[in-house]
Amino acid sequence: MSVILTVEGLTAGYGRVTVLHDLSMEAGRFGNVGLFGPNGHGKSTLLRTVSGLLKAKSGSITFDGEDITRESPRAIVGRGLIHVPQGNRLFPDLSIADCMSLGAFSPRARPHEAENREKVVKIFPKLAERWRQRVRTLSGGERQMVSIATALMSHPRLLILDEPTLGLAPKIKDELCASVQEISKGGVPLIVVEQDIEFLLELCPQLYLVNHGTVETEIKPGQSIEHSEIMSMYFGH
Amino acid sequence: MGAFAEIMFGGLFQGSLYAMMAVGLALVWTTIGVFNFAHGVFMMLGAYVAWQFVSLGLPIAVALPVAVVVMAGVGWILQASVVRPLIGRPNIVLVVVITTLAAGSLIENGVLTLWGPRSKQLPSLLEGNTVIGGVGVSLHQIAIIIITPLILAALWAFLNHTRLGLALRAVAQNEDASQLVGLNVTALYGLAFAIAASLAGLAGIFMGGYRFMTPVMGSDPLLKALIVVVFGGISSISGPIFAAYLIGFFEAACSYYFGLYWTPALLFAVLILMLMVRPEGIFANQSRGLA
Repeated sequence: MSVILTVEGLTAGYGRVTVLHDLSMEAGRFGNVGLFGPNGHGKSTLLRTVSGLLKAKSGSITFDGEDITRESPRAIVGRGLIHVPQGNRLFPDLSIADCMSLGAFSPRARPHEAENREKVVKIFPKLAERWRQRVRTLSGGERQMVSIATALMSHPRLLILDEPTLGLAPKIKDELCASVQEISKGGVPLIVVEQDIEFLLELCPQLYLVNHGTVETEIKPGQSIEHSEIMSMYFGH
Repeated sequence: MGAFAEIMFGGLFQGSLYAMMAVGLALVWTTIGVFNFAHGVFMMLGAYVAWQFVSLGLPIAVALPVAVVVMAGVGWILQASVVRPLIGRPNIVLVVVITTLAAGSLIENGVLTLWGPRSKQLPSLLEGNTVIGGVGVSLHQIAIIIITPLILAALWAFLNHTRLGLALRAVAQNEDASQLVGLNVTALYGLAFAIAASLAGLAGIFMGGYRFMTPVMGSDPLLKALIVVVFGGISSISGPIFAAYLIGFFEAACSYYFGLYWTPALLFAVLILMLMVRPEGIFANQSRGLA
């Protein structure tokens, strides 16, 4: 496998507040990449900068060999870098079917619409039962499924999931984890932020600990890592 | 019989104009979340642009679509100049009230300077009169009563059954998520303003066909459109459409039974009552979103 995303020396933030300090990472060499670390230390900011929602102050982001640092979110979606943000707010008054057509909005995704819809129905059969239902009437787990399904409709070449299981009941969470595994087996590389370390270890051979707005530790495949070690990275000693 | 026909006809006619104005206001509010106080000026400018083309010798059937397209461009430009640069500020609603009021005032005085204060009139869409149910009406007004629902139905179909319409509804609900599926949010904002300005311009052309045009002709319809959206709820476009006809009938009935003099006072009394009892509007649910 080859590197698909490279982030180098990235500095970004909101207004005068800098959240990311000289952060570097890469994704794709070993398959899926997991990001973990305490809340409020820049994981979501990193992902928002990668997908173009936030402008980088300095540093560079390279996707598939091309510089995308200054590109608009639309251009980045057009390249197949798809971001599912945290908190599944989505489009409350649209139906699931509407969300799926929106997912296939970019010219790159449109020719694959029918094929991707089949894929979505296979991965999330629950959604097919409620195709005409409005998003606001769905449960948190179902909304998260719709978010991920919408991203799949965009025909991703790299899929970013920001805390997909946040706030879900354990049973729904297991179901969703299985779906994410299935997506990964389908050949789409993932970048996943997740608090559930077991799930992350299972899914991602390569891990980054993001702390104080930068990568504090990188864990490569082959490096054995104990749960307790990660816990101590999280909480200090 | 005469009273009924008169109220029906007056209500349908006023309701058509109010609906065309109010829908544009609602469209801009739902997609961008701002209130456009230059909306009445769009109406006036549409009539003047059409008048200019007519005085250059074009028939009204040609001048009308050309003016509507020009107004779409005006709407787009206004959005790009006084709305888009401010998006993302705190207090955006208040700031845009002020910038659109300022732009409106500039355009109003520009029109006054360019075309002069003398009242003008556009030719009717259809010449002639007829009598329905004992009431004499002009064919121009009948044409408006028939055309308006068709246009509004077309707008509804566009919003609900095309992918671009779907994109407009999506932007209204969640801007970040819209960007992450690759929608061009700035273009959609421009489109919302362009559609709103075209509809307002069309209303102005309709109005210029039976009443004299002045540079301030848009301010009263803007006020009425505001009442309509408060009444119908601004969170959808179907709410204001129904409310527009309701207000139209209410006004027609009031002016028939109590006289023109009392009509605005009664209208505002109903509005105040409405704000006390159901501030989100009659037809509204409480969220923001189109259709």
